[in-house]
Amino acid sequence: MAAILERKRLRDFDWVLALLAVGIVFFGTIQIRHALPNEGYWIKQLVGLAIAIVAMLAVAFTDYRRLINLAPAFYIFGLLLLVIVLIPGIGIRVNGQQAWIKVPGIGQFQPSEFVKVTTAMMLARYFGKHRVQTLTFKEMIAGAVVLALPIGLILLQPDVGSVITYFPILLVVLFLSAMKMRLVIGGLILSILMLPFAYWVGIKSGFVKAYQQERINVILAPENADRRGIGYHTWQSILTVGEGGILGSNTDSGYTQSSLRFLPEPHTDFIFAVTAGNAGFVGCILVLLAYAVLLSRLISGAKRAPDRMGMLVIMAIVGGLTFQIFINIGMSLGILPVIGVPLPLMSAGLASLTATFIAIGFAISVQLRRFVN
Amino acid sequence: MKFEDTSQNLRGRLRAVQALMLLLLAVLGIRLYVLQVVRGEHYGEIAKNQRIRLLPIPAPRGVIFDRKGHPIVDSRPIYNVILSREDTRGKDLRTLVRPLSEGLGIDADILRDRFEQVRSMPAFESLAVKQDATPADIAWVEARQLEFPELRIEQQPQRRYPPNGVLAHVLGYVGEIGPEHLKQTSFREKGFKPGDFIGLSGLEQIYDEYLRGRDGYRKVVVDSRGRIQDEIEIVPPQPGQDLVTTIDLELQLAAEEQLRNSVTQRGVIIGLDPNNGEVLVMASYPTFDPNLFSQRITTRAGRAEYVQLLNNPETPLINRAVQSRYMPGSTWKIPMAVAGLTQGAITIAQSNIVCGGGITIGNKFTRCMGNHGSPDIKTAIIRSCDGYFYRLGLKMGIEGIEQMVDEFDLNKRSGIDLPNEVVSWTPSREFKRRMQPKNPEWKDIDTVYASFGQVYDVITPIALLRTIAGISVGGKLYVPHVLREIKKIGEPGTPEFRPGRSFERPDPKLVPIPPDQHRVVAEGMWGVVNSGGTAGRIRMENFDIAGKTGTAQVVALGKDIGKNKDHSWFVSYAPASKPEIALVALIENSGFGSTHAAPAARGIYDVYYRRTHPEETRDDPVAQTRRPKNTEQKPETELAHRQ
Repeated sequence: MAAILERKRLRDFDWVLALLAVGIVFFGTIQIRHALPNEGYWIKQLVGLAIAIVAMLAVAFTDYRRLINLAPAFYIFGLLLLVIVLIPGIGIRVNGQQAWIKVPGIGQFQPSEFVKVTTAMMLARYFGKHRVQTLTFKEMIAGAVVLALPIGLILLQPDVGSVITYFPILLVVLFLSAMKMRLVIGGLILSILMLPFAYWVGIKSGFVKAYQQERINVILAPENADRRGIGYHTWQSILTVGEGGILGSNTDSGYTQSSLRFLPEPHTDFIFAVTAGNAGFVGCILVLLAYAVLLSRLISGAKRAPDRMGMLVIMAIVGGLTFQIFINIGMSLGILPVIGVPLPLMSAGLASLTATFIAIGFAISVQLRRFVN
Repeated sequence: MKFEDTSQNLRGRLRAVQALMLLLLAVLGIRLYVLQVVRGEHYGEIAKNQRIRLLPIPAPRGVIFDRKGHPIVDSRPIYNVILSREDTRGKDLRTLVRPLSEGLGIDADILRDRFEQVRSMPAFESLAVKQDATPADIAWVEARQLEFPELRIEQQPQRRYPPNGVLAHVLGYVGEIGPEHLKQTSFREKGFKPGDFIGLSGLEQIYDEYLRGRDGYRKVVVDSRGRIQDEIEIVPPQPGQDLVTTIDLELQLAAEEQLRNSVTQRGVIIGLDPNNGEVLVMASYPTFDPNLFSQRITTRAGRAEYVQLLNNPETPLINRAVQSRYMPGSTWKIPMAVAGLTQGAITIAQSNIVCGGGITIGNKFTRCMGNHGSPDIKTAIIRSCDGYFYRLGLKMGIEGIEQMVDEFDLNKRSGIDLPNEVVSWTPSREFKRRMQPKNPEWKDIDTVYASFGQVYDVITPIALLRTIAGISVGGKLYVPHVLREIKKIGEPGTPEFRPGRSFERPDPKLVPIPPDQHRVVAEGMWGVVNSGGTAGRIRMENFDIAGKTGTAQVVALGKDIGKNKDHSWFVSYAPASKPEIALVALIENSGFGSTHAAPAARGIYDVYYRRTHPEETRDDPVAQTRRPKNTEQKPETELAHRQ
């Protein structure tokens, strides 16, 4: 019996998904090494990958339903981490954001990345019951509360970038939980109309800070922006990407935008710019294709999920990943303002890497059990 | 999907999510295409440029030599502390004032001034915050590379002028290019940028384009903070072209000594070769130290020194030879005598005119210094008889005097190759109208004044000397000039080739003076020194000086004491029979021409004679041991830089 189960498991294990993810990480590690050849980030990333793979396998071979039933516990544990990071002395302050916890032996760990997974699990559990009618207002409020708790804690760090990546998780879950199409379309139109107004109110009320406002102005006209000041990051990233050309730059002197430190945060936030500089248009398109295949693979896994809960947890992950990829690369390409969001699977960072692999582990776990019921 | 509820159309919604995902990735792909394929080269170029920096290596300027090959001005390498603009990105320069002024001992106010200056100049690349840095300064900067990456040490040639202001007015000086220059398109087109040194006066200014070298550069890779990572290429600088002046340093030093030892220590001595216009001597006193501008102007003491020079009532920065006008007094009688003869107002046979001890026009008596009876022209020159020339002037009329002025170019610039030459004021009806609008009509008394070098005759020493030198060689007025030769660099066809040149000297202006008339005037001038004339005291045994003294009234008679004493003039040339050198000497406010200017001129003739006749000075044992073979040793030792 066990042998049959094992063979079946190995047959149903989504090798493509897992290997694609690992492949992207390897490619990303090469880019990290490229960006900062003299620093050990790429080695840390490989160590991180090993940890992440172990976490992924652990999740994959555990019944996702058992995990999701425990979701409230994980969720509360996640919130606890977000509280702990705020305690001075335990949380580490970088660039004015108290977002990291020091882990001896491994380095720093960003709980907000990890909490995305527990939040997605919590939402899947709440909305994963058998559904016969459209989404009620009460349910929407409950979903909003689930999201609001971690967001509120993260805003205390404050890490606006992370917060933004939380919203699509809820939106996808609501959308797939039979939210009335009227509401979806109405909400879409309303948000498109409200965006400029909200921005205006934000400026007037001081909620949007001057530097954030400048970062947005930079996007609107990067060539005219203050290239030495607030527009510096975006401008340097555009230069790095552009210099890559079609096949990647082979700078005669061996000095690059990142090795000369013109490009800031080349191993994390701007890893895609580094990739674009090294691998050129061809390499970048391949990376985008790899993400497209990976996400499509997840979506098709969601379609075959044995229950609503499994479908929702995968799709919540898809929503979060898609949005984060778009935000990060869009920032590198100068079409979105600079927000400190890592690129999933490529940016150096243990928490982001592990969280993404745990998410993928969920997807694999869901697929492994598609015929069980 | 086992849990699917058709009414929710979940499959469609999942497809919508997937479509949205692919759409977002497609947007990124399109943007990538624009950045990398369409505009890739453009951005690549910008990215490359920001990590490649060309650091200029300033070229030394050409050396300036005297006519015998003694170097007068050269450059020595110094180290400067440079502030690089690229690396002060977003930094408030004012925050640097304190640490720099404390660490490098720069005056804080001056630093603040300079930062203020460059703030308005977007083109500025680098700024020398401290020149001639000491080893301690260099160590300070190098120890703080992390704190102040925008600072670096650069070697630069610094112009070194002879001490004691020798030849300062002719040499001029270099200084940092000013904002007012950079506003002019002519400077910008030549690629000048803030911080460049240019010639601001004298020969340095006139021949700047030749003396200036071509800067080299180091092509380096820098990181985002401007720290140099690697050096890709070095293009060495090309020194500027050497310049040989017509100045005779030994005579120049003698002239400056004469002025320095004069009673008022103010005056001019110019000497030139009447046969070609080459200026041998040009001394103007008081003088100044050009090193102030090339070395010390960025220090507080240097600025104070400059302000002092500007406010000094004795105007040490002015080159009196070409920038000041004086009444020439009786030296004016030489061109008057020549013109009187050539215009036919007098003839050689009948040149006698009554002196009368002066002249009465209307109710006004203008006196002569003595009563000379009825002298001929030669005697009138020898004795400097005013009465004679009053009446000669009346015979010529103002028209005759104007014609003379015109013929001797006294109303024009001499054309000397020095900046800011002024035009003399010369007598004319129009000049009087301008000078005295309430009494505009030209009267006989005005002609009298105009004929003996007063009131309406206000001329530059160089214009006067050009006239005298022209007369000395029978009426050939050469353009005086200081440039003898600019040396070429390299050979034609090679990239470093820069052709040489000499002074583009037009043919002399010819003033037709019949030889017999010329002889009469020349004999008169010879007599001034050698035949009982006003300058008899400077007579030399074997060297015939021809000259004319002048004593120009500065204020009304009776007040001419102390500071307002007369200007003392002496114009001359020698040897009288075959002129080799013409000299003008002016000692301001010192009194009679014969007592001050003439002896000063004699001092220079002594040096000239000793050098041109070494065989006659051979009996002087001191001179012989000091200069066994080479008589050109002396100036070099005197010029030895003290640094």
